Amino acid sequence: MTSPAAIEVRGVWKRFILRHNRVETLKDRVLAALDPRRRERREWFWALQDVSLEVRQGETLGLIGPNGSGKSTLLRLIARTLFPTRGEIAVRGRVSPMLEVGVGFHLELTGQENVYLNGSLLGLPRREIERLYPSIVAFAELEDFIDVPVKNYSSGMQARLGFAVAAHLNPDVLVIDEGLSVGDEAFQRKCQERMAAFRAEGKTIMFVSHNLRAVAALCDRVCLLVRGRVVAVGTPSEVIPRYEALSAAARRGVAERILGPELGPRRRRLAGERQADPAARAP
Amino acid sequence: MLTDLWRYRDLVASLVATELKVKYRGSALGFLWSLLSPLALIVIYTVAFRYIARIEIDRFSLFLVSGILPWAFFANSATSSTQSLMTNASLLKKVYFPRAIIPASTVLFQFVQLVLALAVFLPFVLAIRGAVPWSLALYPVVLTLQVVFVVGVALALSVLTVVFRDLRHLTEVGLTMLFWLTPIVYPLSMVPDTLRTLFALNPMTAFVSAYQEIAYWGRVPPAGAFAAMAAWAATSLAAGGLIFQWRAPSLVEDL
Repeated sequence: MTSPAAIEVRGVWKRFILRHNRVETLKDRVLAALDPRRRERREWFWALQDVSLEVRQGETLGLIGPNGSGKSTLLRLIARTLFPTRGEIAVRGRVSPMLEVGVGFHLELTGQENVYLNGSLLGLPRREIERLYPSIVAFAELEDFIDVPVKNYSSGMQARLGFAVAAHLNPDVLVIDEGLSVGDEAFQRKCQERMAAFRAEGKTIMFVSHNLRAVAALCDRVCLLVRGRVVAVGTPSEVIPRYEALSAAARRGVAERILGPELGPRRRRLAGERQADPAARAP
Repeated sequence: MLTDLWRYRDLVASLVATELKVKYRGSALGFLWSLLSPLALIVIYTVAFRYIARIEIDRFSLFLVSGILPWAFFANSATSSTQSLMTNASLLKKVYFPRAIIPASTVLFQFVQLVLALAVFLPFVLAIRGAVPWSLALYPVVLTLQVVFVVGVALALSVLTVVFRDLRHLTEVGLTMLFWLTPIVYPLSMVPDTLRTLFALNPMTAFVSAYQEIAYWGRVPPAGAFAAMAAWAATSLAAGGLIFQWRAPSLVEDL
């Protein structure tokens, strides 16, 4: 229980700006100056509100919550493709961004060329890719198609190749967003074995899924996010029933009773004057 | 930013290699196609300006080549950098890597094209000139300064086009105007005094004039010319870098 934190999320707020009637050309900017009706309407949207979370080294943490609760935003902050509006995130070690398998494949290139491109995108040096290449191809079971342009692959083949590259990254921290739903039955089993092997090697895993049975089976701890806030953190047997109760309450329209008071409104219209910032109330 | 770029050099190399492969795959003549457009321009301008407008300048096509290749490097880098972040939006949203890698690899791709074009045109230059002017030894110096200048322009244009999508069209129009404000098809000495200020305000005038000095006239440009190029390069890189860093954190949200 005293192992150091691999991921530390401290008081993180993430604000997106919703831009209605978006002005995105110089021409529109000029027209908006002449005609107020063409002006862009902006709204704040707090995707995450005061989220604090610690994932210890070697721990597998499941992230659950309804759609739009901020799970993917949190993963993207950890993978550093987004920056927090407030607060801090510290990650020790190399993060594998398994946010979406097969990102960055170039359809015109062959499987082999894509392995090299994808590997270097994920931060692997070229020599390292050369060393891992045979094992990546074998894992993807694509030996006979590796010289074919990826545009001629089936979607299952693409997903297998993407997972194979990501699985060979040897990261310290694995971030998985529903990443295990690729390929056929046999390949899925292989992926889950791979994940179990990662766990056995003491890697830190952060796992987002709506499959509560998989979460219960794979995770040491579970964090429940609702409307951008951490509602509960604990063992799967503590947190999963709370989520189920919340879902049931939401169906009856009485979720508020369980959630308690909100930290602040999630959306606010931005008019001319500056609005109070809900994050200003954060400690 | 520079150390980050160095750490990700394999990624830069992969991105440039990818662009080269995608561009030239399936065409037997490969990169020779990319020479077609400068070649066509050289023929057209030679006919129009040497034989119709009768510009009095010896070995006109040599004069043209020495200015038009570096111009094409600049113009193609500027145009393609405006699209670079948008075409790579899915990558930028999903994977972290230093964002400047995208415009940097765009410039590097155009740089490779320039070097290939130089390799093809050099024998032609030698054939016309008959000898290598030793001033050509300064070519890498001028080229380095120009690359720095172009990187700055590409950094700025790439992020600004994300905010203002029509910047791409403005860039194309601007480049057409800038082309005629650069002494490429006529020597600077032919430009009337009333227009000289406009030419002097155009950074590409400094670079193209220097290329013409070392490759066409066979002279060493004055120290002032190098100072001017270095100043343009430093200003461009500083401004481009600042603009890029200012927009980079929210880049993904704007894409």
